[in-house]
Amino acid sequence: MNLRNVAVVGFAQLPVVARDEHRISTEMLYPVVRQALADCGVQRDDIDYQIAGSVDYMDGRPFGFVAALDVMGSWPPRQDLHLEMDGSFCAYYAWLRMQAGDCNTALVVGHGKTSEGEPDRVMNLQLDPYYQAAIGLDPTSTAALQASAYMARTGASDADLAAVAARNRAAGARNPENQLRDATSAAELQKTPWKVEPLRAGYLPPVGETATCLILAAEGKAEKLCDRPAWIQGVDHRTEMQTIGARDLSRSASTKLAAEKALAMADVASAREVDLVELFASSPAEELIVCDALGLDAKASQPVINPSGGALCANPIMSTGLIRLGEVFRQLSGRAGARAVPNARRAIAHATQGHCLQHNLLWVLGSERRWS
Amino acid sequence: MKRPVAVVGVGQTHHTTRRADVSIAGLVREAVDAALRDAGLEHKDIDAVVIGKAPDMLEGVAQPEQYLAGAVGAHMKPLLRVHTAGSVGASTALTAVTHVASGLYDRVLTVAFEKQSEGNAMWALSPNMPFTPPLVAGAGGFFAPYCRAYISKTKCPPHIGPMVAANARDNATRNEYAHLREPMTVDDVMNSPMLWDPIRFGETCPSSDGAIALVIANEATAKKGPRKPAWIKSGYSYAEAMWVPGRDQVSPRAGQVCSKAVYDAAGITDPWNQIDVAEIYVPFAWFEPMWLENLGFCGVGEGWKIVDRGEQKFGAHLPINPSGGVLCTNPIGASGMIRLGEAALQVMGRAGAHQVEGAKTALGHAYGGGAQYFAMWLVSSEQ
Repeated sequence: MNLRNVAVVGFAQLPVVARDEHRISTEMLYPVVRQALADCGVQRDDIDYQIAGSVDYMDGRPFGFVAALDVMGSWPPRQDLHLEMDGSFCAYYAWLRMQAGDCNTALVVGHGKTSEGEPDRVMNLQLDPYYQAAIGLDPTSTAALQASAYMARTGASDADLAAVAARNRAAGARNPENQLRDATSAAELQKTPWKVEPLRAGYLPPVGETATCLILAAEGKAEKLCDRPAWIQGVDHRTEMQTIGARDLSRSASTKLAAEKALAMADVASAREVDLVELFASSPAEELIVCDALGLDAKASQPVINPSGGALCANPIMSTGLIRLGEVFRQLSGRAGARAVPNARRAIAHATQGHCLQHNLLWVLGSERRWS
Repeated sequence: MKRPVAVVGVGQTHHTTRRADVSIAGLVREAVDAALRDAGLEHKDIDAVVIGKAPDMLEGVAQPEQYLAGAVGAHMKPLLRVHTAGSVGASTALTAVTHVASGLYDRVLTVAFEKQSEGNAMWALSPNMPFTPPLVAGAGGFFAPYCRAYISKTKCPPHIGPMVAANARDNATRNEYAHLREPMTVDDVMNSPMLWDPIRFGETCPSSDGAIALVIANEATAKKGPRKPAWIKSGYSYAEAMWVPGRDQVSPRAGQVCSKAVYDAAGITDPWNQIDVAEIYVPFAWFEPMWLENLGFCGVGEGWKIVDRGEQKFGAHLPINPSGGVLCTNPIGASGMIRLGEAALQVMGRAGAHQVEGAKTALGHAYGGGAQYFAMWLVSSEQ
């Protein structure tokens, strides 16, 4: 099937911080929207479609996204949608609209001021309200259950987890947008205390906040907005049932299926053929499980895994996935600065949602158009 | 539409104050099962699922689509969760339409719900906004000034709201799924307590538990049957900023722009005469004349005269909300999709006792936020 070529042509974010003391959520979002538009050299009126990703519970109030309308430039009225999902899923829907021929350009934002609430308590409320939320499971506990399942199946050790965390931290030190920018050795990380065994404090990202804006454009427009567009070659996403006890937590079946579909769409035989992957894994075990599903060896040098430092160095809820897509754009368009992977021509961006990698989205992007 | 897209299945629950006999997942599953049965399809036939609901605080489950993924049959499938305030049910269905229109999906299940009895809507809908004194008055308190502005702008007489409310109840007597089916006279409404001037108790939507699901499909599926589909001629969702000097909350520009886009794409030039029936989002009675004007059925100040003449009643020129509408049934997140689903049922000729005779073209409409979000579709019995 011949699809429309669509590209990421712009991306802006605020550096991720624990708490932006001086700005409310919309004040954080406004400058990134302006910057993304300015980088593409366009006015707001030149963009056909807008879509936002945020979660009411993270904002601590209903309709938190309504205020974002104003800073996204929603006057005159715009074609618009809001998903209660990470911005990367919003980018997926904007891409789908372009496939339907409904628009040629789209503004995609992710926002969430996590410091206004208690993300651990909020994410507990994602669980089945009758049977699982009530026992007090927080996302670190469920991630630890998943890490244990993976370690039991594969024999992975604490040192293996530390090595993954250390590699991300070393890469992350080169990324000025990150919340954690200090390279730390695996040995040092292994000395940090358990948060929930087998996950140590040093293996987990701190809670952070930012705002993100990505611009998508279809062929014909994309070349005008960006010197080196990052073309979408394949994409797919899959969810699983939530029930933690009913899933094989040591594997990510939804990642595997989404990757197969996205790679097939991109006509790429294997994830090993791309130059880099940006994974949304908020623990080292999650990274190993996602690598496993993609058929990647987390210790190999090809492809480069998380040159940005990944979610372990910055995990701003609702934007972490969109940042992966933005990072792939930066890599493929020569905007990755000190963290650039030399001669990067093709890459994978991943996003996830829910406890224990419940829902996974895989993008394959390249410096060349996929369809002629 | 780049490709023909149709509604091939509609399923809804009986809407009521409190469904204590089912969980949230159980409620949603009832609608999903009914829609699949209606379409003659099974879960294995469905390529993707789109879920919509209003604020998560209404039930106290954050991003409940994660918990519901198994119950809606989304395991190992793509799933998206939409939230555009009150318009969400409609924008969710339109999100499913895009899936099929893209050519990448053939059959998409879309479901919207609210189980208001799990929480407290007044609390959940009273946001504490920065720089704005908290009203703690829920949606009625928020929208009452808009209704007052309409009354003062158009000299709308005081009996219009009660007429709308009494007519809605009369319509609901013919809809077995409606929540409030007890008839009310204009005097009954007039004599009900004033909640938020000018909105009386009798002019207010209920809090409901309920869900609706639709199956949206491509041309091949629609033509295969088993039933006559509703063809989606056009659908759009638009939103506008809150803080715009001079913005008209009574007749928001986003509603005008959205309806014009829907009409233009469907070839409608005279909505009052070309549309046979409309299901529009009227949570408080005064919004019926307001939306008649905003949707271009008549000029400014003419909406209340249509109500006064009874031209929007069942059996009259343009029946509005023959299902009884939001005034009789309001599982908030589902209400928009119920409007779109009821519009589809009308052109399928399957609306039961509230079927508008010979309905070929129908409008489904919803709004949300501070009257900022609009989502609508136009469906037809003809491809």
